[in-house]
Amino acid sequence: MRLRFSRKTLGIPYAVFLLFFVIIPMLVILFYAFTDNEMHLSFENFIRFFSDPTKLSTIVYSLVIALITTAVCLLIAYPVAYILARSKMKKKFVILLLFVTPMWINFVLRVNAIRELLSWIGLLGEANYFNTIFGMVYDFLPFMILPLYTTLLKIDESLYEASADLGGNAFTTFTRITLPLSMPGIASGITMVFLPSMTNYVVSDMLGNSMVTIIGKFIYEYFGTNWHMGSMVALILLIVVFLSTWLTGGFKEENTVRGANI
Amino acid sequence: MKKRRLSALALAGIAMLPTLSFLTGCASESEIVLRVYNWEEYIDEGGEDSWDGDADAPDMITRFETWYEEQYGTPIRVEYTTFGTNEDMYNQLKLGNEYDLLCPSEYMIMKLAAEDYLQPYTEDFFDPSVEENYYIRNVSPYIREMFESNRINKEDPDDTSTWSDYAAGYMWGVTGFIYNTEYVDAEDLPALGWEIMTDTAYNNRVTTKDNVRDSYFVALAILYKDEIAALDPSAEDYTQKLAEIMNRTDDETIEKVEEVMREIDENIYSYETDTGKADIVSGKIWLNFAWSGDAVYAMDLAEEEDGVDLNFFIPEECANLWFDGWVMPKGANTQAAQAFVNFLSMPENAIRNMYYIGYSGVIAGDEVFDYICETYAVDPEEYESEEEFLANTTVYDLSYFFTEDGEYDEAYTFYADLEQATSRQLYAHYPPEVVTHRCAVMDYYGEEANENINELWSRIKGETLETWAIVVICVGIALVVAIVLLVKYGGKIDFFRLPPKKGYRRVSQEDIKDYEK
Repeated sequence: MRLRFSRKTLGIPYAVFLLFFVIIPMLVILFYAFTDNEMHLSFENFIRFFSDPTKLSTIVYSLVIALITTAVCLLIAYPVAYILARSKMKKKFVILLLFVTPMWINFVLRVNAIRELLSWIGLLGEANYFNTIFGMVYDFLPFMILPLYTTLLKIDESLYEASADLGGNAFTTFTRITLPLSMPGIASGITMVFLPSMTNYVVSDMLGNSMVTIIGKFIYEYFGTNWHMGSMVALILLIVVFLSTWLTGGFKEENTVRGANI
Repeated sequence: MKKRRLSALALAGIAMLPTLSFLTGCASESEIVLRVYNWEEYIDEGGEDSWDGDADAPDMITRFETWYEEQYGTPIRVEYTTFGTNEDMYNQLKLGNEYDLLCPSEYMIMKLAAEDYLQPYTEDFFDPSVEENYYIRNVSPYIREMFESNRINKEDPDDTSTWSDYAAGYMWGVTGFIYNTEYVDAEDLPALGWEIMTDTAYNNRVTTKDNVRDSYFVALAILYKDEIAALDPSAEDYTQKLAEIMNRTDDETIEKVEEVMREIDENIYSYETDTGKADIVSGKIWLNFAWSGDAVYAMDLAEEEDGVDLNFFIPEECANLWFDGWVMPKGANTQAAQAFVNFLSMPENAIRNMYYIGYSGVIAGDEVFDYICETYAVDPEEYESEEEFLANTTVYDLSYFFTEDGEYDEAYTFYADLEQATSRQLYAHYPPEVVTHRCAVMDYYGEEANENINELWSRIKGETLETWAIVVICVGIALVVAIVLLVKYGGKIDFFRLPPKKGYRRVSQEDIKDYEK
């Protein structure tokens, strides 16, 4: 028997994967979010979430922490990616690699190292919010640099030449050519940094001494005691992330293609 | 064609199933499988750190498998899995995972019992005349008494069963503070008691546990300090009265506890579950709220590293007595599970486990007492004179733990170093009776109270913003969203477009669409 597979048959394993590991879990979250302990339909968790100032404050804090982290990452990563992409250096991939190597080291180890570093400087326990954001920026920087680097690398050199030819100065070239063409990279970088920095409570626990509570920690704690409320918080976070992805244009096809080039 | 091939594959798969199950069935028929679900690092795992100190030393599980086969003639295989928190364990059980033996803490045992998850131990487990019933023959009378006098299901007034019907003890301990003697004056502590946590002298130098129950207990002890102090420790109903105070969950108490918890929140350095030990050994913090087993570990570590000098302090008014015990969920293999508990209760094995994990086991008996003496008793010959000996040592009495009636028995006393007996490892490992007498066990609060306390915890741990700040930030975010949307789609809506220059006409969206066609 000769084995020949059409595209459709080859797609089956992926469809099964998506069904079991993406769609069904989401439905389960949805189900738990809108039921009570007796498994009856209930909007109580929804009402409780939006009538509890602590939960709203926590989600707002998480949003702000995530926004700052993303902004700082972008500010640091863009020049790095730009310089690397445009430099004529021969071994520039080595430098890029150096920015990425921390990702090869175990995450918990890295966070612990940062913890010791902060303690040595004397910041640990003194500036919990700063430490949390610092840790997140350190941790997520590669996720911002890589997509930016790939998009910036793809910009045709002749476009810069054309800009200079038509009398554009460096600033105009940047605002009219570089920035608009690197938008897809910025968008995928933002998506890859923003979401995890709302939920990565290992950083806030270790570096913020558990004195900083972000929404991911809330979800974790609720899943120890009340799955329904935990699901509701997870669902609300999902909506926030969905909105932010949509706003940054993360759903456009060309963007996802570029983001996937890493 | 495609479909047929797929169904052929599926058929082949189905045809394979019986063979597969036959293969696995083969294995399970000849040997028993015991599914044990325990805390991480909560059993002797053999190797160099074990009692034998030999790299090839077998772990407790392997020992049990060998012993069981010799004893009962049937091979047994232990499926050993571990959990990190009681709640993780509960979730796994709730999801339908099946086990034969679990090792949760006291309150989780009570919750499981209240929700009818547990199966009682069989009667023959408690027969001391049977040689293999090591648990009942060796368990400390102190622990047994406690297990027999506490009802397991306080939710249901008709249910008179006690802890001992459903649970066999494993490890136990108390809570207190590890402190750095360089910065903390031991003489200050007794007057403060649990108020160490709110005392501004230790601002940013003290840590608490990142879990709701321990934090709630501390807050209760601070809140009702005077009421606890007014109790008479020699009164017969002292233990009940103390337990009643330390398990209050009424709305008024919760409201007041919230204030105390906020005070603690403002005073502490961190909430922690693991980092506290490292932080106190490295000298970052001065006081660490700790379980006794962790305290022993931290003090040992500090001694080895030769850095800081650590002591242990148990507040005088009241401390939390906790224990972890073995329970069997419904449908468990009781024979094998009970054999496992009995095996762990053999004094030799109890010592191995204690040595490896550093907590105190519930097993008494002369072998265990000898082990304690070996570790902590002092040799008079090491002192230069009798005066020096008497000045630096004290008689340490563990009769309460070892004798049947709890009365003083000289056989269970030994000379211990004064510091060991009052503030170091021995004091944490086997606290004297005067400490355990003042301890209270935290019950399972019941579903409703649990919910209230968890909400209280999320209010303490969560961020607090004034309502106006929430509104301002939300409006700000909404504005940003609106601007982004405008930039993106504004050009497609005529309303948002700039008016055309003189002499030009605005192209409408329809025109563009027509043009694109």
